[in-house]
Amino acid sequence: MEFKEFTIKWGMVVDLDKCTGCGACMVACQAENNIAPISKYENFDASNKLRTLTWLLVYKMENGKPFPEHEVAYLPRPCMQCEHPACVPVCPVVATDKNEEGGIVSQIYPRCIGCRYCMAACPYHSRYFNWWDPQFPEGMDKTLTPFTSARPRGVVEKCTFCHHRWNAAKERARKEGVDPMNLPQDWYQPACVSACPAGAITFGDFNNAEHTVGELSKSQYSRRLLAKLHLNPQVYYMSKRPWVLAMLDNYRAGDAHGAEGGQHG
Amino acid sequence: MGVNRRRFIMFVAGAVAGTLATPIPFKLADDSSIWTQNWPWIPRLQYGGIAHVPMISKLGAPAPVNVTTAGGRPCAVTGNAKNPLSQGGMGALAPAEVQLRYGPARIKGPLKKAGDSFSPLSWEEAEALLLEKMKAAKGKVAAVCGDETGTAAEVLSGLVAGVGSSAFCLMPGESHVAARAWNRLMQGKGQPGYDLENADCVLAIGADLFESFGTPVRNAKALAASRPAGADSKTTWIYAGPVRTRTAAVCDQYIPVAPGAGAAFALGLAAQLIQMGAAAEAQGFEAFRALVTSAYAPAKIKDATGVAPEAFAALAKTLASAKRPLVVAGSVMGRGGAAADVVAGLCLNLLLGNLGKPGGLRAIPEIAPVVTGGLTRSQMLKADLVDFLMQVDAGKLPAPEVLLVHEANPAYALPEPETLGKALAKVPFKVSFSPFMDETAAMCDLILPNTLSLERFEDLITPYGSSFASYTMAAPVAAPACDAKSTADVVLGLAKTLGVDLGFATFEDVLAARVAALAESGGFMSDTVMPWQAIADGSAPEGGDLAEGLGTGTPWVSVAQAEQGGLTFPVQVLEKALPGTPDAAFPFSLVPLALENVGSAKVATPPSNLTTIRDDELKASSLCLAMCGQTAAKAGVAGGDLVKVASARGEIMALVDIDEAVMPGAVAAPLGLGHTAFDVYSRGKGANVCKVLTVSAEPVTGLPVWDSSKVKIAKS
Repeated sequence: MEFKEFTIKWGMVVDLDKCTGCGACMVACQAENNIAPISKYENFDASNKLRTLTWLLVYKMENGKPFPEHEVAYLPRPCMQCEHPACVPVCPVVATDKNEEGGIVSQIYPRCIGCRYCMAACPYHSRYFNWWDPQFPEGMDKTLTPFTSARPRGVVEKCTFCHHRWNAAKERARKEGVDPMNLPQDWYQPACVSACPAGAITFGDFNNAEHTVGELSKSQYSRRLLAKLHLNPQVYYMSKRPWVLAMLDNYRAGDAHGAEGGQHG
Repeated sequence: MGVNRRRFIMFVAGAVAGTLATPIPFKLADDSSIWTQNWPWIPRLQYGGIAHVPMISKLGAPAPVNVTTAGGRPCAVTGNAKNPLSQGGMGALAPAEVQLRYGPARIKGPLKKAGDSFSPLSWEEAEALLLEKMKAAKGKVAAVCGDETGTAAEVLSGLVAGVGSSAFCLMPGESHVAARAWNRLMQGKGQPGYDLENADCVLAIGADLFESFGTPVRNAKALAASRPAGADSKTTWIYAGPVRTRTAAVCDQYIPVAPGAGAAFALGLAAQLIQMGAAAEAQGFEAFRALVTSAYAPAKIKDATGVAPEAFAALAKTLASAKRPLVVAGSVMGRGGAAADVVAGLCLNLLLGNLGKPGGLRAIPEIAPVVTGGLTRSQMLKADLVDFLMQVDAGKLPAPEVLLVHEANPAYALPEPETLGKALAKVPFKVSFSPFMDETAAMCDLILPNTLSLERFEDLITPYGSSFASYTMAAPVAAPACDAKSTADVVLGLAKTLGVDLGFATFEDVLAARVAALAESGGFMSDTVMPWQAIADGSAPEGGDLAEGLGTGTPWVSVAQAEQGGLTFPVQVLEKALPGTPDAAFPFSLVPLALENVGSAKVATPPSNLTTIRDDELKASSLCLAMCGQTAAKAGVAGGDLVKVASARGEIMALVDIDEAVMPGAVAAPLGLGHTAFDVYSRGKGANVCKVLTVSAEPVTGLPVWDSSKVKIAKS
């Protein structure tokens, strides 16, 4: 399946050598996008990560060595907004698409029939299914942001790079006489990016020479997650630690892809 | 006209063509998909003009943030890019601030204990009851305050002093230990601050810099600035401690140091530096040199610290060759540490000659109180709550007649909760100002719920660890979501009726006086120059419109330093800094980890934070206890085993999690779980690690220490 090329291609470069795994990005994302807390149907237990709903999830990576050589890194995983998304072609109702300037994979909740083919197709586990209607404690629905509608039971949802913030930035650009197709980098930053105290996430347009992400993505320390699948995520990860880079390509001993340490796709 | 086959086919074909041409079926399909998702119980969004209003988040480490409002309704929290303490970032508790306005644990109005439950009463009745009890107490009043950085603490301390009591205690924190070390033992002036932004080599001993120490958001921003993405790092970050913490995970180097051996490690490093020619001019240096070179020579403390002499030598070389080295010592759990640990770290800084220099240790002058009779922070830090409660429990001090608890949850967050709980129970009339039904509020006789930060006037005065003095202020963003009142105003009203003159009628007036006083004291508004730039330049900018700047979330800042006189190396407290001999009954050291996403000493895990807790920290309702394979083998347990973790003072249950990030002999677990109060989102999840924390008296100072408790582990 052929996908469009866009003038603007939003993406992230996450510096894993800065991420402390504090979770501020996750909480900021949940508040911004009206993700309901774990429900009574799950007995308020969020420790089973198969049942939680997190557009952004921070994974813990370990090098597998015993103390004291043991090392830890944290990997924040939003939707990868792949250039060749595996989720889009499998959607029978075009509820998810990659058809808009910016290259953000859309998710149209009212169209979604909940078949979850997209979830099966996504190798990054970035998509989540609403097993239950959203359950906000009494009154807490008054704190919902006006940015993202609350999703009902039976639909799939995922990170949108806080698409509404892009809309707001474009609106600001029009008001201030700036070209909306050439926004300054800091005008549009998703909630997780702005919240991160360690500045681990750089966000911008890969196609804009004035934005730093393009240059960063070409660094010798940058990789894409599971690059060998050729989905070409618009999220890159940087690290100067070889074991971290190798792990990003699902490295196993004897696996030529990881052992070469090269980038694929 | 008859219907023949041809006409029938024409009719069907026409119907199909017509159906395809009309939008009706598509519209119906679209509508049905929309309306089958559009139920009344799915919340509707409310729209309105978007604004970003300054606020101060105090649920975790205090930090300036902004509240996003839609049509005046608070709906999200973002960082405050104008404030050097946060620079647009925020901790994991700050985003929950807005949602917790409607959290299930929020107390809806004043409550009075009635048997085992509470009954509501009006504010007039509640305040009248409090007045009656305060009058009857005749000065036998004590207060516990968890808002160290706010002027509200000054107001409360003024009331306590005004009724003739000296029992005003802040909740234990890193600043207590630092004050004990720097002001009391080393005779230093001002509050110790660390200029991380200008340092080129930072050694953190125990202090979990980017998670819990001092100003974690500012600290993490310093890390971010020192490591421009894709470019070479400007600063070497080194972490030393028994657990590869979140801070250690991003440091350039991790040095495993045995639990409780932080001071010995620092002194071993001092010995190495002295051997390389380092010296300091402070009093007692010769005695210090004699002590560390004899008792803490790296070869001698190898076993006690778990650090090889070669590692000491290499680290000393790294520090000595750095242009602006800095040492930050503290407790991994952010409270309950030994003063000797901090003293040893401060002495290292003196040896490195960085006191008062860019990238070094700085002494931040204190801001004078404005409330009549109010205490300065250094005066507040002299009192020790744990010591006070232990003396009450032991009958050495009389229990107060009235206890006022403000922004604190001592029944949950203090060590040995059973012992200290008995002391609390001795108080006949306990008053909580908590906005949430926490463990302490649940045992109080009267609850006068405070407003949340975004519903009141709030301020933030130089948090501990900051390398510059600062003052940030915020006005209420929204009216209280329930029948709550700002405690500072309640206390001012109470003082007036008691005849105690605090000098002000409202908290807003107090803050106005504070601003007026600051305007006369130099400093500048940090809207164009960041304080670390001024420190690096050696300049002392002045000016800026305080009232206008503070209204937008920009802080008043000063880079002035407290003048020192009589700085001393306190050799006596360092003589017994080696960890104690192993206890066969309790062979493992417990390392409690303060993780902000899990909660704080003040608040339990908010609903939105539950997903951030990893399944190697909490599994279903079981706390996870991290230990390396070697420790597990020694304890005779395996990953997934349910174990009993017991100290001399208490026990908890936990699941074993094999984690090679923990040093052999140590076990680690997060604080902030195991609540018995609050709400369904946090109650009954995991165990409260404080239950097994054991208080011991620090040699020389005799003050309580509880960050390196010994435990035993047995399969359940």
